[in-house]
Amino acid sequence: MPYSSLKKTRWFSGSDSRGSSSSAALVELEDVSLRFVNYADKQYSLKRAALDLVLRRDAPVAKSEFWALRNLSLRIPKGSRIGIVGGNGAGKSTLLRLLARIYPPTSGRVAVRGAVAPLIEMGAGFNMELSGVDNIYLNGAMLGIGPREMRARIDRIHEFTGLREFAEMPLKYYSSGMYLRLAFAIATEVDPDILLIDESLGVGDAAFVAKAKDRLRGLLDRSNAVILVSHDMASLRELCTRGLWMRQGQLVADGPIDTVIDEYLAWQAALEPPREAS
Amino acid sequence: MDARTTARVPHEEYFPPPPEPRRPNVWMTRLRDDRRELARFWPVIQNMVVQDLRVRYQRSVLGFVWTLLNPLLMMATLSMVFSQILNSVENYPVFLFAGMVPWSFLSTSLNECAVCIIQNEGLIRKIYLPKLVFPLARVLTALVTFLLSMAAMFLLLWPMGARPSWSLLALPLVIVVFTAFVLGLGLLIATANTFYRDCGHLVSVFLQAWYFLTPILMPITQFRAEAQWRFGLNPAYYFIELFHEVLYAGRWPGIGLFLTAAAIAAATLGVGYAVFKSQEDKMVFRL
Repeated sequence: MPYSSLKKTRWFSGSDSRGSSSSAALVELEDVSLRFVNYADKQYSLKRAALDLVLRRDAPVAKSEFWALRNLSLRIPKGSRIGIVGGNGAGKSTLLRLLARIYPPTSGRVAVRGAVAPLIEMGAGFNMELSGVDNIYLNGAMLGIGPREMRARIDRIHEFTGLREFAEMPLKYYSSGMYLRLAFAIATEVDPDILLIDESLGVGDAAFVAKAKDRLRGLLDRSNAVILVSHDMASLRELCTRGLWMRQGQLVADGPIDTVIDEYLAWQAALEPPREAS
Repeated sequence: MDARTTARVPHEEYFPPPPEPRRPNVWMTRLRDDRRELARFWPVIQNMVVQDLRVRYQRSVLGFVWTLLNPLLMMATLSMVFSQILNSVENYPVFLFAGMVPWSFLSTSLNECAVCIIQNEGLIRKIYLPKLVFPLARVLTALVTFLLSMAAMFLLLWPMGARPSWSLLALPLVIVVFTAFVLGLGLLIATANTFYRDCGHLVSVFLQAWYFLTPILMPITQFRAEAQWRFGLNPAYYFIELFHEVLYAGRWPGIGLFLTAAAIAAATLGVGYAVFKSQEDKMVFRL
């Protein structure tokens, strides 16, 4: 496929993106690029830096660069349900991390208005030495829930996880399933404006998965905008209204979710006919 | 000639950063944003400090006593040795205490700040937190330990001649100024060590040398009169001298001394903050 045709971006002209003023957009990306520089190939030490400075030479080994996002422009108005599709390494997760303010853009402008709930990595910010309850407060504080608010919600969390009797136990003695359940419960306890979800969240046993789906749906309904990254096309079609297709850090297509997924699947099928498109 | 080999790769990340053109409004917005962000994330800092202290002492029978035991033992040894040499210094243990306890706050804070970004890699790459949270939490943890051990040691040194005086009222102010100095240095070291990991090793060596260059073990009157001015070149000297005045001599510190220390603290904190903020965005790529 020629490069130029990939670069073309079509804009979704749904009723919710037109007619509303710019202040209504929760997320605005303007020509955003993000470059990763790999420093691993060069042990850049103080000695090296000093030598470079003294000898007035430039960095001797070229750093390996990688553009994870390239010239991305995007407006996400209130009420959007966005699904992002694309192959591995297309920049989907990087985009989510950019919106979660984990990565700053190398160039361009990012405006995110409102509270962001990142369901990107489960259990980020857990301290293994602390008990379950302490971790609930700590993690809640990181997600923007103050201790007073958390106290009111803690019963709901216990009820959902079913880990009340383990609440005082240090997290390092939790099984991985318990750990995930707790992380999921805290992360979904927030009331976000913008919800970022990465991949299918593998959580616990079958009974819990059903419960988790319910809870996730509740969270989706509470959020003003949802951005979902997944390889599960069925759930994307079900949950989202607008689709984005990313490839090599660029936006290939932007439109109604079914159209985008169909295009993506068709493209994938054309690319590798023998294997089934997932 | 191959164009590829001659093409020069622009060196984009300097440390220390090249001086920026002065744009006060940028820094004003940064300060305002930080104030808002720190207010929002204050529970996180609080939580980190409390949990850090708790984790440190849980399951140890003596708990906080361990924090006291180490400097106490050190001071006992030092006062045994040095009181033989320096018989002109009265209440030598109190003198030692007044210098050593603040110093251990400084050295703990700096050692902790050096690794604060690196150790929180998992957090920084997974969730957004203002990066200032990490050095702040470390310094505050050390500050709490410092205050507690200071109070406890003062009482323990009562038989050795530690007596409260009105000048103790100046102590909070001195501690605030000293904390600003330590935080400024901590921010510098946190930035430096994130970009060049060898700074961490340098810090402990440097601190050791600095310790002996600061009049902690003996008052500067023990040195040759014509060599005493050299201590003035050591920024830590002013702070330690403040603590000596307030805790040991029981005098109000001279206004000149205090203002000098405050100016050094303000400058250090300003530079530390500016360096940290200007490099903050790049840190996540260096973890």
